[in-house]
Amino acid sequence: MPDPDHVGLVRAAQRGDALAMQELLGLLTPYVGRLCGPIALSDGPDATQEALISIFRNLRQLSEPAAVFGWARAIAVREAVRVARSARRTVPAELADVPAAGDPQLATDVRDVLDRLAPEHRAVLVLRDLEGLDERTVGDLLRVPAGTVKSRLFRARRSFRKAWER
Amino acid sequence: MNADWPVADLDPVRRMGVLAAGIPGSLFAVDVLDAPFDRVWAVAADLERELPKLVRDIRSMRIVRADGEVLVADAVGRLGLRDRFDVVLRPGWCVMQSTRVIGGMAAVADGAGTRFAFLGALRMPGVRLADPLLRRLARPVGRGMFRRLRDEVQQR
Repeated sequence: MPDPDHVGLVRAAQRGDALAMQELLGLLTPYVGRLCGPIALSDGPDATQEALISIFRNLRQLSEPAAVFGWARAIAVREAVRVARSARRTVPAELADVPAAGDPQLATDVRDVLDRLAPEHRAVLVLRDLEGLDERTVGDLLRVPAGTVKSRLFRARRSFRKAWER
Repeated sequence: MNADWPVADLDPVRRMGVLAAGIPGSLFAVDVLDAPFDRVWAVAADLERELPKLVRDIRSMRIVRADGEVLVADAVGRLGLRDRFDVVLRPGWCVMQSTRVIGGMAAVADGAGTRFAFLGALRMPGVRLADPLLRRLARPVGRGMFRRLRDEVQQR
């Protein structure tokens, strides 16, 4: 019987069924990796592993198995920002310092532009542009007011798009 | 544009570490073997022949059903206890589970060598309480399994 929300799988994993756990791990790893990659960049694998460990250690606390991806997303973004901040090797530029289009310093790839943003701003971009969440939901996830999300997003996305379209 | 966002991946050994973290009381050990992945995994994946050599508690192992990467295997323990295992086996990844025991192996190429992980756990009530003690046992148990795995890889 089809189980589009993976409810049966999540329930079995919550009961400690290792085969269900490894199958759920196979489903969640690419999703968590897509969220952690753009936020934690070179620390993406560490962030992905930390997020998945937190997800699987706390799986029993998930009361709505159908919401597993949304629940995992909140943990992944939080862990990615935390890992990126603690591993930050250089202080990222303020958003205002991100080079404008035409600046010879400006690299053309997405990775380079993301590199110039703080992890919190990368998280806003990922949740809004990659996950398609509205500003209020993004604010709830990152524990900041929706207005802050909006202003961060406007500036981050402008820098991002200019670089991308160049 | 989404295709160009950086994506993070986890190799099978790190994934096995996640699985171990989610299984209370699991033994988890990682080491690097000085042999290429194909040679190491050829030993690990040969469950019937090699698992009784690697895991001391198993006397024999017999695959009774195979459907792609999903297998069913019957194991007989040293004390004669029989266990039926559901198994998922693919290159670099193996998880097996009976009503009493969980086992796992994972491997990934690491330069010219292979990073390899063993996982083992008992499925019983209260195992969560013994978690710190069991995790301390991982090192000596793992050392023995890795020694035997190295011997088997060398003999191939």
